[in-house]
Amino acid sequence: VFAHLEMLEARAREADMKEEEAKQQEEKLARLKARVQQLTRQRDELQAKVDLQQKGQLGKEGVTSDPAQPSTQAVLEWKIKRVKDMLQVFCLTGISGKLTEQGVCFCISTAYDGTYLDSYYLDLLTKPEVRILRHSIPTFIPLEQLAKKYLQTDIRRFLSVLSNHLNAYAARRYQADQLQEHFSDQIEGTLQTNSLCNLLVFNYYVSNKSKTFPFNVRLLYGDLCSSIPTEVTVSCT
Amino acid sequence: MDEVVAEYIRRTVLKIPRDEIRTMLQQWGFLSEAQLQTINFCQIKENISQHVVQLCEENAARIKQAAVLDIIYNHIYSNKRLWSVYQMNKTGEETDFFDLTDFKKKFKRRLRSALTNVTINFREYEDNAIWIRIAWGTPYTKPNQYKTSYVVYHSQTPYVFISVSVLKSNLPLLCQALVAASNSHDIREMELRSHSLNSLKDIVFKRYSQNFQSYYPKPLQETNVAPESDLRIIQENKNEKERIKIINSEVFGDGPQPKLEFAQYKLETMFKSDPQMNVLDRKEPFRCLVKFSSPHLLESLKSLAPAGIADAPVSPLLTCIPHKARNYFKIKDKKYVSSISFVSP
Repeated sequence: VFAHLEMLEARAREADMKEEEAKQQEEKLARLKARVQQLTRQRDELQAKVDLQQKGQLGKEGVTSDPAQPSTQAVLEWKIKRVKDMLQVFCLTGISGKLTEQGVCFCISTAYDGTYLDSYYLDLLTKPEVRILRHSIPTFIPLEQLAKKYLQTDIRRFLSVLSNHLNAYAARRYQADQLQEHFSDQIEGTLQTNSLCNLLVFNYYVSNKSKTFPFNVRLLYGDLCSSIPTEVTVSCT
Repeated sequence: MDEVVAEYIRRTVLKIPRDEIRTMLQQWGFLSEAQLQTINFCQIKENISQHVVQLCEENAARIKQAAVLDIIYNHIYSNKRLWSVYQMNKTGEETDFFDLTDFKKKFKRRLRSALTNVTINFREYEDNAIWIRIAWGTPYTKPNQYKTSYVVYHSQTPYVFISVSVLKSNLPLLCQALVAASNSHDIREMELRSHSLNSLKDIVFKRYSQNFQSYYPKPLQETNVAPESDLRIIQENKNEKERIKIINSEVFGDGPQPKLEFAQYKLETMFKSDPQMNVLDRKEPFRCLVKFSSPHLLESLKSLAPAGIADAPVSPLLTCIPHKARNYFKIKDKKYVSSISFVSP
């Protein structure tokens, strides 16, 4: 019996101790929370004071020329916005550029028939001579050839010719995609083309009353700067 | 039907994961829809493959059709093979019209003139990729359908992607045939290898994300605004984090990076040490090989600076990988400047 009572007493003491500990921790937590709130309030007050001081300094200058300053500020902002919009509009012309640290970065945008297609970039170095640093132009466009011919001598011509190549390629590809999409019921299978889209071969049907005539078409685009074929062969198979 | 063909079809079907078998057979198009309906795709693969072989027997399949199924499998699971990139140089400046039939004819003729016992199959895909499958034999034995090489070629580009096969000795033959078929001068191996074929294509075709400076209006991106967890928490290093983010974005671009598994740097530089230590006073280059490997190397390099593990900007030796289109480098000292070597910082 004695042992049992001792055990119960020990348990009661343990429980008490645990309760004490828990209470202490809660108190500690409450104190820390209060401290955090106090510090945050202090910081906010100091921040407000700093802001006020800064504004106060500005205010001193502004008070003297108040009517004039807002308008010059507004005019400057309007000018900057206008220039930025102009620069964005330039991108719609097809060839636009931006000066970089080492040279200039050109953006060539392609479009066909009122639809804007992909844009390609050309990062050029200007010193010691004009060189291509990096670009996002597809490999089947003869960039190296054009660069060898025109880059050093006449950069305007280089950009113009390159833009023609890219626009023509984008136009040919767009036309091929549209053909495939809109006439898929009349074309047998898929169009056979190549990376530059300068050779297009496909079969299609023309039906007259009850008979259908299969035709084979071969479009050859001899001029890489043109989106119109130079040679067309239509044969009835 | 030939036993070899039957066994080959059976083994190819066994390779395909069960869920994909139906779609792949449909893509193959050799078995009719009615025949495909008769197959129970819920049974064990062993039985499925046997059933497929039976149906192929009915349709009298030959090695040509079996090879097409193999190409389809490798096209979808191209990441199971290691791809190397080769570059060809063109002869003249005239416009290349690229006639597909002409290309195939020249390739077959050139390869068969050197080695008659080969099986060659072609398959074209919508992105203008031409897949070539070659099964190699020897002058005395028939082609072994399990010893295959794959070539992926995009018309009018100088790049060819070759999956290295077991028989490296046939590589020169393959290269010669490619050079002849594409009207090129010569071919050389670029130091660029990966399991992800699409990533290799992205790198050489310059389709990966590069950050170009321009005034071109960027389309508004949905910025994932993380909900402010607690207004009382202030980022002390916000400016620094912003700076790192901007520099990182300039170097790596904003989009996903091409997937490479490793970058290897072979150092042939002199060991720079305290002269008093007297290490390697024979003035020989210190040969050392550093290899970085990762499931997605470029993404991990991109996250080095934001994670605080490296300073921004990250070393140009690491960031030039997509631009130089190589992941094997030889680094020499400043004295020996050549086109492929680098100056180590």
